[in-house]
This record gives sequence, structure tokens and C-alpha cells, in this order.
Amino acid sequence: MTGTPILRLVDLSKKFDDLRAVDGIDLEIYDGEFFTVVGPSGSGKTTLLRMLGGMDQPSQGDILLRGERINDIPANRRPTCMVFQSLALFPHRSVGQNIEFSMKMKGIPTADRRARAEQLMAQLHLPLDYYDKNVAQCSGGERQRIALARALAFDPEILFFDEPLSAIDYRLRKTLEKELKDIHRETAKTFVYITHSLEEAMVMSDRIGIMREGKLVQVGTPDEIYNKPRNKFVSEFMGEVNIIEVQKATEDKLECPSLQTQVVGPSQPTGFNSGHLVIRPESVRFLNNSGSAENSVEGTLYNIYSLGSRMQYQVRVGTHVFLVEKLREQGYEGELDDVVKIGWDARDSILVSD
Amino acid sequence: MNRSSSKLTRNLIALWAACILVFMYLPLACVALASFSKNRYFRFPIPKYDTVWYSKAFDSLTVQGLFETSLSIALLVTAISVVLAFFGSLAFARFDWRGRKVFQKIILLPIFFPQAVLGLALLLWLSSIGIIPDWRTAVFAHLIWIVPIATLVMSIQAYSFDPALEEAAFDLGATRWQTFREVTIPILWPGIFSGALFSFLLSWGNFPLSLFTTGADQTIPEWLYAKMVSGYTPLVPTLGALTTLGAALVLLGGYAIIVFSRGKGAK
Repeated sequence: MTGTPILRLVDLSKKFDDLRAVDGIDLEIYDGEFFTVVGPSGSGKTTLLRMLGGMDQPSQGDILLRGERINDIPANRRPTCMVFQSLALFPHRSVGQNIEFSMKMKGIPTADRRARAEQLMAQLHLPLDYYDKNVAQCSGGERQRIALARALAFDPEILFFDEPLSAIDYRLRKTLEKELKDIHRETAKTFVYITHSLEEAMVMSDRIGIMREGKLVQVGTPDEIYNKPRNKFVSEFMGEVNIIEVQKATEDKLECPSLQTQVVGPSQPTGFNSGHLVIRPESVRFLNNSGSAENSVEGTLYNIYSLGSRMQYQVRVGTHVFLVEKLREQGYEGELDDVVKIGWDARDSILVSD
Repeated sequence: MNRSSSKLTRNLIALWAACILVFMYLPLACVALASFSKNRYFRFPIPKYDTVWYSKAFDSLTVQGLFETSLSIALLVTAISVVLAFFGSLAFARFDWRGRKVFQKIILLPIFFPQAVLGLALLLWLSSIGIIPDWRTAVFAHLIWIVPIATLVMSIQAYSFDPALEEAAFDLGATRWQTFREVTIPILWPGIFSGALFSFLLSWGNFPLSLFTTGADQTIPEWLYAKMVSGYTPLVPTLGALTTLGAALVLLGGYAIIVFSRGKGAK
């Protein structure tokens, strides 16, 4: 997806004493896109977001909103709004008063405020009789919706989200992720979201930026991130994948010390010397009864996990533990400690740098 | 635990609580009783009950003067200590700055000084710099002891304050002043309120600091002490009962306000 950039970051950096929390970020965020920054804790993603929102001052570099430098514009005069990790709902105000806060600050008449608040409550599936309810008496999911309604009532051009779903249990989080994506479509505003979960980012985002130690390691669509992770860090972030240390053997063969064998890999970039081979668990096949693959190894079936619609197998080969995933009806039929032969094709593996 | 022993435990706890209550409140009740005696001298059992000393207390110019002095000091101490403690507790709980730990220790120190020593030190200091003590110097003395306590009381509230609340308000377009008025003050209000209550009551009942620093002026606790030492009149228990009643009313009033505002917020 391309379009007009709404936000442009130029060499954006933030130093805390000796630590470079955000280190020279160049990025364009397009008008109306859902952009997610993913990174482990301490990667600087919150600091980045706080600079964009105007809560922190950059030490270096510029933030351009539609081409205009906004570094020195304080948060209350930026056309942006943040949904905080703690949500920061005002505990001394009712649901309605929370939603109307920004409109009250602007001096909008009471009746108009109420009309807009009720419209937002309807849009976000909040019962209208919650208007006078104390926010402390609302459930986690309701509080999320109130925080989002409050931010939307401000009518910002860009909404920032600082991991608002991190404290929500799995099932509700899945629902809210989809709701948020729906809201994104309905409002057509630019959303910038940060999270430590690539899975969460994949569900919602148009584009994803992976952050590590203050730098963006890779920026791309969920497809690009999934199919072409740039390095081991990004691959590991995707969750359960097989990552095997490899060295160059010949032009098309790779030496795997942990498997004590050589495998056929994808084409090697020029100057390649050593790196990692990434193989997704669903790309690995059992080869015992029939079938063949370009690469195959033998190991013992160590454990079987049921993942609902899929089954996951742990196969120990040398010092390496392979993860294999199959649909339940296509699962491996055998016993624990069976000697099994597994294999994969070169095109299903991805070669990444460290 | 079986049923009978839990009953025994309950009874023992009730007995214990009753003992403590009697031990704490019986002396106060005795003073109240003594104040209703018609007799000039403090004697039990009270030969004849009367409210004559109450009407005398309300008519007395001395009592009026004492009341005015005590009230002026307490109100002024409350106003100043609330402001100082509010900003002190915010600085202390919300921000990390060089010297914060030192501030924490220095602010706590006066609480542990014996008040009589602190009063004497202040008296010596005041006379050495040529200030003649009166009720205003007592305000200063009370503040030294009360501001730290009020700061501690308010810090409890300030500590539980999520700084993101202010950031959120500011981010939603509020000015600094609107943020302060709409978010900071209302959320810290219970702390401010109890800090004010503490300040008033501690100043109202303070004796050792007042003794050294009021000069020619006299507060109610000072007068009570002076009259106990020489020239006892039944006005002593009367005024004692009245000041205690006053403090209790302030406390009850404060409690009522808190309950009322909570009921309103929960609606």
C-alpha cells in the first residue's frame, strides 16, 4: 500500500543519558494506514510513540506532519491522540464525561457533546445507559472501548495506541483486535499502534515495522514480514519456527552443525558466509511411509501437542529440536520415541542473516 | 477451628476492644462529667449537676480571645501547610530529581524532634534575630512540625496517581491549567482533604510548640495547662470538653463530606 505520507520521521532519535532509546529512525507513515511498530520491551517503541504524540521531546531529528515540522508543538495542540497502555480513564468521571472530556475543553455545548458521545458509544457497542456509569465499574473490554471513544471524540488525524490490549485475556483480545480494525475502516483515520506481539500486529496492520534496540529492523506488509523476514531477530519474533544455524558449504549446499549434515537451501546472496535457515513448522513433512523431500533428516518423536485444529510434534534431530505442525486429520500416526524421518523442500526455507 | 472456641475467641476480642475503648475514652468522659459540676472543685462523685460553667464560658471575654487565637493559628497553619504539602508531595511522589532522597529524610526529621525541644530552639532563634513572639510566630512553629505530616498524608494519594492521567488530559487538548483543575486536583482531593484535616486538628490541639512560641498570646491548650498549674476553675474541664467537641465536629464534618462526595461520584 502506498499513498500520501501523513507523518514523516527523519533521523528521529531520543537519548536518555548514554542510552539511545530511539536511534535514527527514518520512516513514512501513509494517510489512513494502520501502521504497527512491533518490538520486545526496551526496544524503544514506547519512546518513539511518545515523541510522535508530543509527550517526549526528540533529542535529534524531525517529525513532519503533512510536511510541517511539529517537534516543538506540545501534545495538546497536535491533531493526534493517544490511547495509553493503562488507558488513563479519569476515575473521578463517568463514562460520558470521559468521552466528552476533549469536547468540554474546547467549549462545545453540552447537548452537542452528549449527542456525539452517544453516537460514539453506539459505534463502539457500548450500551447507552452506561453514560452515567462510573468507569471503575466497567469491565476490561468496556474500558478499552471507552478509551477509544474518548480518543475518537477528539477527532484526531492520527490515533496512537500504546499496547492497550496487553492486559486483556486472549479471547477478548482477539475480538477487540478485529473491532479495532473495523473502527479503522469506518473512521479512515491513520492508526499507529505499538505492541510486542507480531501475531497481534499481523491481524490488524497494513504495514508493520519491527524495532530492535532503537532501530527499525524491517518495515513491510504482514505478507512481506511473514514471507521474507530480513534476519534471525525478525524470524524469532514470528513465534514458533525452526531456526537452524548454517554455514556456506558449496554454492547451493549449506552445512548445519547442529544436524551434522548438509542441506539444500534457497539461493545464497552474494558474499554469504554464515547465517540461519528458517523453516516454518507447517512446511516440514513426515516421510516415513511415503513421500520425498529435497532435504530429509531422521530423529525421534519426543512430544505431541494438540493445538486444536492442528497438531504439533517435537522431533529431536542431533542437538536440534524440530517443530512440525499438521492439520489434525493429516496428523502423524505413531508412538512417542518412534524414529521418524522428516523433510522439507529448499523453497520452503528462508535464509536470513544474524 | 470448632464452633465453641471460635465463639470464645469472638468474646475475648470483644472484651479486649471494650477495655481499650474504656481506657482511651473514660478520661475524656470524666472531663466532660466534671464540666457539668456546679461545684468549684473537681470531686467525684459529682454532688450537683449544672450547666453554669458552660454559660460562663460562652460569656467570658478570655475564652473568646483564646478561641480566636487558637482558631486563627489553626486556620492559617491549615491553609499554608496544604499548599506546601501539596506541591511537596507531588514533587516527592511524581518526579525523580537530584536530592529527592535527601528531601525525603529532611522532611521527615521534624516529626521525630521532641516538640518541646523544637519549641525552645525556635524561641531562642526568634529572640536572637530580634523577633518578638506572638501568635504569628506560633503559626511558623506549627508549620515546621505539621507540614511534614501533611506531606506524608498527601504523598500516599500522590503515589497512587497514574501520571498518564495528566498526559491523557493534556493530549486531549486541555491546557496545563485545565489539566490541573479537571484532573490533578479532583484526583488528589481526598489526600488534600485529609491533609487539611490533619493540619487543622494537630494545630488546634498543639501545646508544646505553642507554649514556647506564642509569646504574650495564649491558645486554648496553653490556658488549660496554666489553669491546671495554678488557679483551677471548672472552666478548665468545660473548655477542655468544648475544644474536644470542636475537634470531633471538624472530624465528623470531614467524614460526612467524604461520604457525601463518594456517594455522588459513584452515582
